[in-house]
Amino acid sequence: MSETPVIYVIDDNPALREALDGLIRSVHLSVRTFGSTEEFLRFKRPDAPGCLVLDVRLPGLSGLDFQREMEKLDIDLPVIFITGHGDVPMSVRALKAGAIEFLPKPFRDQDLLDAIYVGIEGDRARRRSSAVIEALRGHFDRLTSRERQIMLKVTSGRPNKQIAAELKLSEVTVKVHRRHVMRKMKARSLADLVRMADKLADGAETA
Amino acid sequence: MKLQHLRAIAAPWLLPAATVALALAIFVADTVADLEIAFPAFYTIVVLMSVRFCKPRGIVAVGAGCVALTLLSDLATAASGETGIGVVNTTISILAIATTTYLSVRSESEKAAAYEARLQLAHVSRVTTLGELTASIAHEVNQPLAAVITNGNACVRWLAADPPDLGEARAAIARLVKDANRASEIIAQVRALTRSSPPQQERLAVNDIVLATLSLIDSEILQNHVSLRTELADDVPRVQGDRVQLQQVILNLMLNAIEAMSRVPEGPRLLTVGSARHDRVGALVAVQDTGAGLAPENLDRIFNAFYTTKPDGMGMGLAISRSIVEAHGGRIWAMAGAPRGAVFQFSLPGGA
Repeated sequence: MSETPVIYVIDDNPALREALDGLIRSVHLSVRTFGSTEEFLRFKRPDAPGCLVLDVRLPGLSGLDFQREMEKLDIDLPVIFITGHGDVPMSVRALKAGAIEFLPKPFRDQDLLDAIYVGIEGDRARRRSSAVIEALRGHFDRLTSRERQIMLKVTSGRPNKQIAAELKLSEVTVKVHRRHVMRKMKARSLADLVRMADKLADGAETA
Repeated sequence: MKLQHLRAIAAPWLLPAATVALALAIFVADTVADLEIAFPAFYTIVVLMSVRFCKPRGIVAVGAGCVALTLLSDLATAASGETGIGVVNTTISILAIATTTYLSVRSESEKAAAYEARLQLAHVSRVTTLGELTASIAHEVNQPLAAVITNGNACVRWLAADPPDLGEARAAIARLVKDANRASEIIAQVRALTRSSPPQQERLAVNDIVLATLSLIDSEILQNHVSLRTELADDVPRVQGDRVQLQQVILNLMLNAIEAMSRVPEGPRLLTVGSARHDRVGALVAVQDTGAGLAPENLDRIFNAFYTTKPDGMGMGLAISRSIVEAHGGRIWAMAGAPRGAVFQFSLPGGA
């Protein structure tokens, strides 16, 4: 996973696009600019943290509509809005939908850069947690069906004796399976394994 | 408007063809039947139908044609029937056709005049309510300005780097200059836009302009329960200028006056519009209201652009009015009304 963040800028005004390109490069961040959301969607994004600087008024789909569309398209980038004619209700709508900032043009460069840093950090954290869940899923997939069964029972707090009775197995067999589960899941303790089970359940909900 | 709409949906030749067919049918029936039967009266329908697709001159031609057809079929049937009653019938028919034609032409001309007045109002209000135009200009200018500022900031950052990146800094400045030029181009376009209709120069009767403008604000006066008094002098000299622009000034002053009065809940609402001879050869127009009046310290400022005393005003109306009046060589000023309200007056020089 590459760690150099990339900032995407979508604005239909070429002058502002170039200016933002220069400004963002001046703080040593990678930047890609697009004149429309279609252009942005055609671009194959690298696997790196980033954020999206989005103009509200765009040809075709407006920036606000695109923000809603992103969820359907499974684009999980933090959004910073820039606008030439924003009003309060518009900014409230954008921020409620999860935008980091709503900046009227012309904006202070530091305000934009601060928002970009917040966005990158947010995206990094999100990617880290989704990477962790990804790894857990990988481990979980390698368990046998019997081991999965036993992991679920163990993490819901059942003692070995009860599990053995429920599954009509000997207590020793349950202990062996349980050790395999701990090793394959790379869990250091029972508490660790319980946290993993929670994360997997959360991940299954949000996916 | 409605008329044109009807015309647009039917085939354009349908109505004229039906009219001609009807005229021929009446002619045939009239010629075949006895003289005393008053078929020609039906020609009035032909005239009324022609109103739908003819200009006033065309309606007159159709009326004349109908009269001619009436006389023609009379000649053809002169041999049969009672001649005495026939002549009376023919005369009545011809009078009916002539009357119908006259009334149709008059109502059409009035419609045309009303349409003209609406067009003028549309033009006047388009120029007066600058709101939308201003918003779009502001947006157009704001875009390059945002780019200018961003490029300037980027340049500062490139220069502050250690070591400074002069190449990038120079490129940022080049973009900045380009964007600043773009903003300046937009301003030049806006200037050209406002200059694109050169003021017309004609000899104008000031009272006519005042009366024409009054006809545009009837509904405003009614809606706001304002009484109107006109005090137009007979001896106001004619002035040289642009009718629409001067109408715009008067309209603006009157709308301001009505608005000022509508914001005062109590007391009489009287709008007085007057004209007078000014400075021997010039003209003076005064618009007086009975609103809250103006604070003395504001009297000088109200004509400045972007200065407004209204809660939702743009501060453009009086500024534009002043520039129009001054372009005509005149002067505009405000003073306190007696016993209350405000008086706005402008003078225009006479002669040429």
